[in-house]
Amino acid sequence: MVYRNLIIYRIVILFFLLLITAPTLSAEEVDFLDDDFYLDELESAAVNDPIEPFNRLIFDFNDSAYMYLLKPLATGYSTVVPTDIRGCVWNFFRNLEEPLRFVNCILQGRFEESMWVLSRFAINSVAGVFGLGNPATREFGIPMIEASLGETLATWGVGDGFYLVVPLYGSSTLRDITGTVVDAMTMSPYYFWSDDYLTLAAIYAGKETNKLSLYLNVYDDLKKLSFDPYVALRNSYFQNRKKIRDHTDFQVEF
Amino acid sequence: MDYFRSIPFQRQERRRSTWTALYLLVLLAALLVPGSKVCASAPDPTEQLKPFIEKVIAILQDEELREGARCTLCQRVIDVARERFDFQEMSKRVLGKHWKQISSEQQAEFEELFTRLLEHAYIGKIEEYAGQEIEYKKQRIRGERAEVQTLLIDSGKSIPVSYIMLLRKDQWMAYDVVVEGVSLVRNYKEQFDQIISADGYEYLVGEIEKKITAIEKETTGEE
Repeated sequence: MVYRNLIIYRIVILFFLLLITAPTLSAEEVDFLDDDFYLDELESAAVNDPIEPFNRLIFDFNDSAYMYLLKPLATGYSTVVPTDIRGCVWNFFRNLEEPLRFVNCILQGRFEESMWVLSRFAINSVAGVFGLGNPATREFGIPMIEASLGETLATWGVGDGFYLVVPLYGSSTLRDITGTVVDAMTMSPYYFWSDDYLTLAAIYAGKETNKLSLYLNVYDDLKKLSFDPYVALRNSYFQNRKKIRDHTDFQVEF
Repeated sequence: MDYFRSIPFQRQERRRSTWTALYLLVLLAALLVPGSKVCASAPDPTEQLKPFIEKVIAILQDEELREGARCTLCQRVIDVARERFDFQEMSKRVLGKHWKQISSEQQAEFEELFTRLLEHAYIGKIEEYAGQEIEYKKQRIRGERAEVQTLLIDSGKSIPVSYIMLLRKDQWMAYDVVVEGVSLVRNYKEQFDQIISADGYEYLVGEIEKKITAIEKETTGEE
């Protein structure tokens, strides 16, 4: 147990060291309504992908894994389990992660939102029956709040490093995957019934299959309509991430 | 007595006259302000987008059209789409700096091809359409541009979809659709830019044509 953690910590420290040496990349604030939004210069500056050939290899691997393993699995699962129940499972896992979001909100200085995250956790755990439902959004009008360590590091001025495609996980950057690994480690003692890798992996696989079953045709659509799925996915990842981390629109209709 | 009484009267009179002057000033200002560009006749983007989306939904829900040949349905949607979508502006933005480097015939050709690609992109969506609910959130206007935010509510999950619009005379025309923060134009732009820089513009045209035939073949094969 101790030895296992030592290895993980070493990996994380290695990632951090890599991060420090990696060139920093500042995200420019450009709005949809600006003409600059469609400028070419911005485009090339936004993507830092020095290990593209390697990333493409992992992308192809992930694509095959999706086509021949994950998609049939998630499709089968979705035919057996009704949408409502899959939604509940998703809610349950999301609710477990709320304390993590609370901490990250505080670390990012988003104090008002951090209190709302805590309220969400309390409401959904009690009124939502262990987080299976989401009354915090439906009844109380508290929107879902996103906060991860990757974002915390970003607010502290740590650069993205570079774009990274992670096997069986997908698009990320060096900084964000570091955050994700630490976030996941913080979560692991929380899954109190797990004491070995296999159980942890099974929980993760179950959680991800469930999530995938709710978004089955998204990747297929992207692949069908794009000319270079790798570039299309990379672009979507960065654009979508920017939206998730834009908190100017935060509003509670309590 | 008279002397004492007259003072407050005088004061009242004076106060009244200052108030009338103030009213006049406000009235003058009110008359002058609409003279500037922010005229009251500027149309509301959401009010213009709403009937358009309702029209598309009505076509999609038309059972007769659904059962008929696939392309009559598509054609109807496309005809309506041209009312509210500025495909030329879209093509211009998606090519970026390359737009100016091609001839006007090539521009027209590209516009037609890109429009067809987008049409096919939406046919798939049409088939999936199952009476989702659309909620209109807020809108932002800056000069001649506007963003209308909508929320597509689909079996429990909600997908934010924004329309980016440009004011042409008195009509707001959409030139970009942003789904979950991902701009369609910017996504295609990066792909097209890489293809053009690597293999040239002509190659890109060939690729788009190939894509369209592939999608057409796939959809007719299913039937």
